[in-house]
Amino acid sequence: MSFRDILNSGKFAVTAEIGPPKGTDIKEMLHHMEILRGKIDAANITDNQSAVMRISSIAVCKLALENGLEPILQMTCRDRNRIGLQADLLGAYVLGIRNVLCMTGDHVSAGDHKQAKPVYDVESVQLLKIVDGMNNGKDMAGNDLKGATDYFQGAVVTPESNPIEPQLMKFEKKVKAGAKFFQTQAIYDIEKFKTFMAHARQSNVKIMAGIVVLKSAGMANFMNNFVPGIKVPQNLIDELKAAGKEKALDTGLNIAARHIKQLKDEKICDGVHIMAIGMEDKVPTIMERAGLL
Amino acid sequence: MIATKKREFKDLMENIKDYKSFFLVGCSECASLCGTGGEPELAELKETLEKEGKTVTGTFRAKTGCQVLGTKVELKPFKEQLDKTDVVIVMSCGAGTQAAVEIFPDKPVYQSNDTMFLANMTRYQMFDERCSLCGECILDETGGICPVTACPKGLLNGPCGGTNDGNCEVSPDIKCCWVRIYERLNKINRLDDMKKTREAKDWSKSQKPRALVARTKEEKKK
Repeated sequence: MSFRDILNSGKFAVTAEIGPPKGTDIKEMLHHMEILRGKIDAANITDNQSAVMRISSIAVCKLALENGLEPILQMTCRDRNRIGLQADLLGAYVLGIRNVLCMTGDHVSAGDHKQAKPVYDVESVQLLKIVDGMNNGKDMAGNDLKGATDYFQGAVVTPESNPIEPQLMKFEKKVKAGAKFFQTQAIYDIEKFKTFMAHARQSNVKIMAGIVVLKSAGMANFMNNFVPGIKVPQNLIDELKAAGKEKALDTGLNIAARHIKQLKDEKICDGVHIMAIGMEDKVPTIMERAGLL
Repeated sequence: MIATKKREFKDLMENIKDYKSFFLVGCSECASLCGTGGEPELAELKETLEKEGKTVTGTFRAKTGCQVLGTKVELKPFKEQLDKTDVVIVMSCGAGTQAAVEIFPDKPVYQSNDTMFLANMTRYQMFDERCSLCGECILDETGGICPVTACPKGLLNGPCGGTNDGNCEVSPDIKCCWVRIYERLNKINRLDDMKKTREAKDWSKSQKPRALVARTKEEKKK
């Protein structure tokens, strides 16, 4: 079953992230693909994540297809204008890529080419509209396409942002622009997430909670201080601290598994998106502990 | 106004090292307020050049350096000094420099400043960029705060996911402009403006180089 069919059937979907490497050595990445094959429903392939230059997302999506993983093409507006974005959307489609996650993208100042000219000709809401138009056989300028796309298009939302109202307004715009599914920024406070879900449930879209695996109390503190839109509650930091250095990662995996299990058992959302950030090989462990394998 | 920043003197010196005599042109408008092209700066550069063994034939502060015809007229009394000058150094923005290029087609023109941005002076000699000259204002829909300029990503439909406790992802010490827009629209009961989806911007309106004729055909004939 395709990722789209799984989400639409109401089955609890699981996606994980694969970051393309910086360079032509893809051995480790192919190993991660092999580990994840048959376990997750689709793999997000990041697009120069954190504005750090890497192998193109489309190329790695194609490798994912060849290696038996359904890809979700992450597409950001940072590096391409509307012509480039549409050309890549058509290109990805004919290569067999069927899912696209539309994002504005981290600013170049966060990355490793700080002197670059960021593009941002369009942004996430407008990119969603472009995809919707292409699915209906039209490019952004209204020209007919010789063959339409049939993308399953998604977007992101940050439910733990403060203040939340402007984020919710943007969420609504993304829904209106044609987003069919959402993957959220990291969720650590499930009670707070439930409040967001009460709002999100008013729209006919699928919501997958973002799960970022915590490796240590230090990482949690770092994220609180430096990663926008992420708030790790103190009780989780305490839990990681109490585990000690050796058991911190294992505790982090347990926390992720526990949250996933709760989200699934209480039917809080439609799936989870696991961001293991370099520890893709631990995703099956998390899934096992969450009772998903 | 146009914000300008003084270049390193050694960089200017490197460019003009082969020349002997100089005429300095400042500007009474923006460059004076920025401290890059007013009387004190003209005197300072004159002194520095003379210390380096160069000759300064004269200094002059234009009323509005970017105004080509007016500046040309103002420069008439300086003809004698200018005839003895190898090089004109302009101490204003790039527009002022290029006005001088037009006024002195036969002389090298160098610039002592870098031209930064269209600025609001918020306090004395403190400048903020608030307008990007994009050719199509959306201020009426955004509570009078320009996200094309104030958001590093130029987002038109609300904040990105990177806002952190209401601050900007890119400059954490600055409030997210979309949070500011939200708060202002909320205050003036115009939150509906924020809920409108804005289409992608028509960048053809800022295609360079731009020109504008601000007078009617009749006025032009006169």
